[in-house]
Amino acid sequence: MTDQVRRLYVLALSLLGFFLAWAGIAAHPWAAASAESPSAAALARYEQRLRADAALVDELRAQRAALPAPPVRVVTLPPLTTTRSS
Amino acid sequence: MQRRRFDAMGTEVELFLDADDERDALHRAEDELRRLEALLSRFRPNSELSQLNRSGRMRVGPELLEVTTVALAARARTRGRFDPTVHDALVAAGYDRTFDEIAELDGRAGHRPVACGGRVAVDHTTSTIELEEGFRLDLGGIAKGWAVDRALAGLAVHGPALVNAGGDLAACGRAWPVGVETPRGTMTLELRDGALATSGRDRRSWRRDGGERHHLIDPGTGVPAEGDLLTVTVTARSATEAEVLAKQLFLAGDLQAAVAEADGKAIPAVLVSRDGATVLAGGLR
Repeated sequence: MTDQVRRLYVLALSLLGFFLAWAGIAAHPWAAASAESPSAAALARYEQRLRADAALVDELRAQRAALPAPPVRVVTLPPLTTTRSS
Repeated sequence: MQRRRFDAMGTEVELFLDADDERDALHRAEDELRRLEALLSRFRPNSELSQLNRSGRMRVGPELLEVTTVALAARARTRGRFDPTVHDALVAAGYDRTFDEIAELDGRAGHRPVACGGRVAVDHTTSTIELEEGFRLDLGGIAKGWAVDRALAGLAVHGPALVNAGGDLAACGRAWPVGVETPRGTMTLELRDGALATSGRDRRSWRRDGGERHHLIDPGTGVPAEGDLLTVTVTARSATEAEVLAKQLFLAGDLQAAVAEADGKAIPAVLVSRDGATVLAGGLR
């Protein structure tokens, strides 16, 4: 192998190494773990809000259930809504 | 006052919210009721309840786990008069499809008593429910009451509110005039921070074997309850509790027994007999 051919091999390998390093850096592998997609983050926030709402609803329901029997009486007002057999 | 009306859970639902600019709250309450219906209806083949009834043992979500637990506690408290395992008795009586569809099939033959009181094991550590072989769950009324309580709690954050889903109604935050149908006209009750449920044979009834059938199964006989009661309306702290108490009184046997039980246990109630008599009981005046 002549020096000329050896130099060509070295040049080709250097170029290949350069482009591989470039592709590796451009992919931002160090950012993969920390950056979440915007839709996943929004979904996580939505889930958190739903859980908070559900906890509040459960708490209010438990408070209502612990109240004494509700006062109720017959009145002569027109009804706002009417119940019927379920 | 904001109001929203829609059909869900086999009935017309009305939501009232005494607050301005909270229309989203009504939409969210409607979404919640529809979500719970999709989970807990026996008429939806893909509901979690239908899947449990098909498999007999299943890991379930928190809603089905809680409603089943509440229903089993009610069965114990009422000594079996309220029973969530009446599914097959309802089907045998002809209530095997939504009520709109039953109306088209009135007059079919075939009717037999079916045993109720099946064993239901609830494991809270694994969120698993197991049904005794040959028994299925019907959570119809109690699931509706539970859903009404849940929807009301969601609305109550925004102001005084009322949720009326047919026979199950709950209200909070102020005095609400609520009508109860009687043969002599509509009676108005003033309800504050409480609930009301009506059970009766005046609706959801059909004809089979030449006789009238209805959806209120007596777990003791496995067939629709006999007796002279037409409707029972009860007030309680929550729609879930009112639903159980209304069934308990309806299945007391007859008007006299139901009045005695309502008075003895201080359950405010409006009882209507099939011959048109309307009686207030349990301290209701």
